Amino acid sequence: MTAPAATLLGHLALLSLISFGGTPGVLPDMRQFVVVTHGWISDQDFSNCFAIVQAIPGPNMILLMSLIAWKVGGVPAAAAGALATFGPSCTLAFAAFRLWDRFRDAAWQRRLRRGLVPVTIGLVIAGGYAMARVGDVGWASAAVTLAAACLMLHPRVNPLWLVAAGGALGGCGLL
Amino acid sequence: MAVVGATDDPVRPVTLHSLFVAFLKVSLCAFGGPLVWVRRMVVERQHWLTDQEFAELLSFCQFLPGPNVVSLTVCVGAKFRGLAGSLAALAGFTVIPCILGFSLGALLLSHAHNGLLQDVLRGISAAAAGLIIGTGIRLLMPHRRRPAALLFCALAFAGLAVAKLPLLIVVVVLLPLSVAIAGRAAAGAA
Repeated sequence: MTAPAATLLGHLALLSLISFGGTPGVLPDMRQFVVVTHGWISDQDFSNCFAIVQAIPGPNMILLMSLIAWKVGGVPAAAAGALATFGPSCTLAFAAFRLWDRFRDAAWQRRLRRGLVPVTIGLVIAGGYAMARVGDVGWASAAVTLAAACLMLHPRVNPLWLVAAGGALGGCGLL
Repeated sequence: MAVVGATDDPVRPVTLHSLFVAFLKVSLCAFGGPLVWVRRMVVERQHWLTDQEFAELLSFCQFLPGPNVVSLTVCVGAKFRGLAGSLAALAGFTVIPCILGFSLGALLLSHAHNGLLQDVLRGISAAAAGLIIGTGIRLLMPHRRRPAALLFCALAFAGLAVAKLPLLIVVVVLLPLSVAIAGRAAAGAA
């Protein structure tokens, strides 16, 4: 494994343990590290990686990190990059969940959960909004986002059809 | 007010095999991030958790480092089947989807300059963003009669999306207030 790849993996493992609030928050840091500080990949490559993982199925943050690692150190680095992204945080999540679940009926935890949930939901909706603003170039794209959000509220609609319709409209040059 | 659906026993027993398969399926169709699909599978298809329980578990994972939905996968597995459950769910979620997704991503990356491809990707992203917003609204539904919950949801959205404040600031300011008010409401109801 090359020296840049090893440095990148160490950084990914560190981010896995300190990226509170989820990995989207570390994207600016990641860009700074691989594009500006080390110059391993171009800004355009970084943006392309991001656009592609948003549009293909799979655990998108793991895929993003492994694509970047692939650009830096080939396929072995990609595999190691994926593990470094979720291995440390998953180990921590398991231990933390066991502790949290032990106190699930405690009054303080019920109160805490009640207060946490609305803020979390606000963050989820803001995440979708931010994603729409990155991709949206005009009213047609905004309309697709809005229509998908409304149809999503109907439990019988399979979201895959919405994704396919979005891709088809885009492919016809309408967005 | 009764707590809706505070069950720990799902309709069917949760086997290791069902955890692996459920999270494999979720990951394979996870356009625009896996959250939309995990909620659909765990809440609507399998009835392992209610929307309320799902939102609570997601909140917990929001305060853990790393990719949230991957942590959520570990927690759902752990909740029903302990360490083995976590590993089964995590393996389903990551191994095959990462190999396929990485291959597809690497292929697309080498054609990233193609105009048609960019148009299709843009359309998919626009729809996927809508799915995330729709999922957030679904999660909010059990709280629609709690004005304080709606207020804090709106404030979190506004802080991040409109005022463009850093995530840490939004969370540090809103969370203590939200928990304090939820605590007062609970004390008042008791």
